[in-house]
Amino acid sequence: MVFVSPDLSETMKDGGSPSGREIGYAFALPRLIARLGGRRARRAEFSRWEAYGMGILVFGVSCVFVAHTLLPLVRPAFAQLLVLLLLPFAVWAAFLLLYYVNSLMTALLRRFGLYSAMTNNLFQHHVIMSLTTLLALLLVRDESGWMKSLGVFWLGLLFLNLISILFLKFLHEL
Amino acid sequence: MTNFRRWFHRFAVRGIVWRRYLDFGLTNVPFYLRPVMIFFWTILFFFLAAPARRAILSNLRVVRPGSSPLLNLGRAWLTLYNFAWTISDAADHKLAKTEFAYEVEGGEFLDQLASAHGAILLTAHMGNYDLGAAVFAQRFQRAIRMVRAPEADGQTAKHLDESLERAGGGAVKIAYNTSNVALPLELLNAIRAGEIISIQGDRAVANVSQRETRLFGENVSLPDGPFMLAFVAQVPIFPLFIVRTSFHRYKIIAREPIFCVRTKRDRTIVIEEAIQAWSRTLENVIDAHWSQWFSLVPIFPKR
Repeated sequence: MVFVSPDLSETMKDGGSPSGREIGYAFALPRLIARLGGRRARRAEFSRWEAYGMGILVFGVSCVFVAHTLLPLVRPAFAQLLVLLLLPFAVWAAFLLLYYVNSLMTALLRRFGLYSAMTNNLFQHHVIMSLTTLLALLLVRDESGWMKSLGVFWLGLLFLNLISILFLKFLHEL
Repeated sequence: MTNFRRWFHRFAVRGIVWRRYLDFGLTNVPFYLRPVMIFFWTILFFFLAAPARRAILSNLRVVRPGSSPLLNLGRAWLTLYNFAWTISDAADHKLAKTEFAYEVEGGEFLDQLASAHGAILLTAHMGNYDLGAAVFAQRFQRAIRMVRAPEADGQTAKHLDESLERAGGGAVKIAYNTSNVALPLELLNAIRAGEIISIQGDRAVANVSQRETRLFGENVSLPDGPFMLAFVAQVPIFPLFIVRTSFHRYKIIAREPIFCVRTKRDRTIVIEEAIQAWSRTLENVIDAHWSQWFSLVPIFPKR
């Protein structure tokens, strides 16, 4: 039952588990950028920049959109401040609700054999990406410069990522 | 306990509801939204888990002396944030077999441990010890028997046991560190059969054999069971820690083994020297990674 490897720390570094220095990105765009920079990056969730950056951007777009919608309805300055303070918590709670509703939808899809992935993450990812893109489109229509820029930034990233997917597919690296 | 109290108890900080909710979160939240979700959950638990917060603060006062109370509050939050990451990474590995990248410090000691016929792996409530045991057992195909402090909630304990055994592919077995007299004999037999025993040696629970030593200049009681076992079985003790370095990245820190060699010297002296060597190692690692020392009970005497 017991298997003894002659050099286990090397096994851990090279074969058994990914090495601590290994580069991996989940999205095609940073993988393509790494490739253009002469580095090899595989498809893996190893990048904190990707995880934190993307998370803050998705959450930020939602917060900005909700603040943009709510603030004109609140008049006194202190109430606006209170709304701004509580808003991230409200958006967080809304996300929790969204995950739950999506999980029910996934359960329904599984029941009819239309979804079979091990986790619901892929389905949740597509719903969240679609919703964020919708919010970004609404922000693009806004007159305020920076909100418009935020929307354009998101749409630009989305476009570049789709192009990167095609490019990597062409290179058979996806 | 009435039915209502039993039902309500499920929602306690260490209750089963949160463990199950964590499993739900990891199978439903895309990886890039986890940092945001964990950030907010940590804020909530920072207020809800008051005893744990107070314990971290009391430990921090000794580990980081001379710091302002406000700064230590921030550090306590960071410790809970890291704790949230480690339990969610362990659950992620169990549920989705997510990959983690590792770097190794002290690889030669890890090699020695993996090829040892019977050894004691001495670790602390630090970093991701659950994930570490599971990965070690799976990658190196060695069975590990983990000795843990008993969980306050029975259902949570059951859930954790099942999770660990599942994550380790059946190679991780759990034993609880209680006053059970049969446990030391069980462990001794396992070591003699060539197994690796993993014990957390940074906290002595009630009714378990312990000895005083110095840690960060304070008198503390640490369990002496691992050292007695090492002395009787004549096997080395390998200090091993696994700390989180970044998103989905960990560092395995293996330190020089500690030996309790049977000689003509008094057994008590040999064991005391070994405990002192362990407390020096522990102090060194905690000092460098204080934000990942998840000792959620006060370790040091009250001042």
